[in-house]
Amino acid sequence: MPATISAFADPVLTAGLGLLSMAHTEDSIDARFERDALPYLDQLYGAAMKMTRNPADAQDLIQETFLKAYSAFSSFTEGTNLKAWLYRIMTNSYINTYRKRQREPYLGVVEELEDWQMGGAESTTAMSSRSAEAEAIDQMPASVVTDALNSIPEDFRLAVYLADVEGFSYQEIADIMNTPTGTVMSRLHRGRKLLRGLLADYAAEQGVGVKEEKR
Amino acid sequence: MSDCGCDSARDALEEFIRNELDDVQIGEIRAHLEICPDCSDEQRVAERLREAVQRACREPAPPSLREVILENLREKHTPA
Repeated sequence: MPATISAFADPVLTAGLGLLSMAHTEDSIDARFERDALPYLDQLYGAAMKMTRNPADAQDLIQETFLKAYSAFSSFTEGTNLKAWLYRIMTNSYINTYRKRQREPYLGVVEELEDWQMGGAESTTAMSSRSAEAEAIDQMPASVVTDALNSIPEDFRLAVYLADVEGFSYQEIADIMNTPTGTVMSRLHRGRKLLRGLLADYAAEQGVGVKEEKR
Repeated sequence: MSDCGCDSARDALEEFIRNELDDVQIGEIRAHLEICPDCSDEQRVAERLREAVQRACREPAPPSLREVILENLREKHTPA
């Protein structure tokens, strides 16, 4: 068993030890990884599902993410933002590996598209009032919200997910998605607008809170 | 801008609900929301939308995945 400090800093030198058997050894890479990184599994899985939109690819992406994170963990500075670091690894993995496999062609620079070019996702529905709209959104089944999220362009979807679900700041999202914060804002605004329109359309189909004269 | 404050409040609403504004901007928008029912309704919609997204995204990983990951890491650790 390697006993020097430097051995703990280098995962190669600790090779041969079982991950779990190391868990009791304080400050080892393995123990730290299991204690600090693994608890983000559920959160990362939620994001992976939003990226890949299917459980098989999401699980592959998560496995790849944790393997890469483990390999690079010695370079991670303790005390800095581990959650954002893991999300960045996963986002890069997704872009490099999984996006190519997706059936839907990548839309490229989505910022250059007009709303009407994005799969007819722009709403033509006007809610009778904003309080009716807030109420309708409140009552919306999760499956409807998920479908709506899955139908907006992925860069928008991811920005919305990272901001609304994970509560990352614009700067953190910019680091994760490797874009300027202005782009993050634009993706978030447009993604939210599309989402709101889709939910209003759904509410209208259900006959909830629609302006009389529109029907 | 010489409007009643609605335009700038609407523009910054997303940033307002996410705490991305400085104290001065927050103060201005908060003051406007207190006197403007339209904009405070808009704020309510924005917050409901965020909550709806949060609810829809609660999706825990399958329990087996944690085991698979630990197994992967062990394999990576132990040369064959």
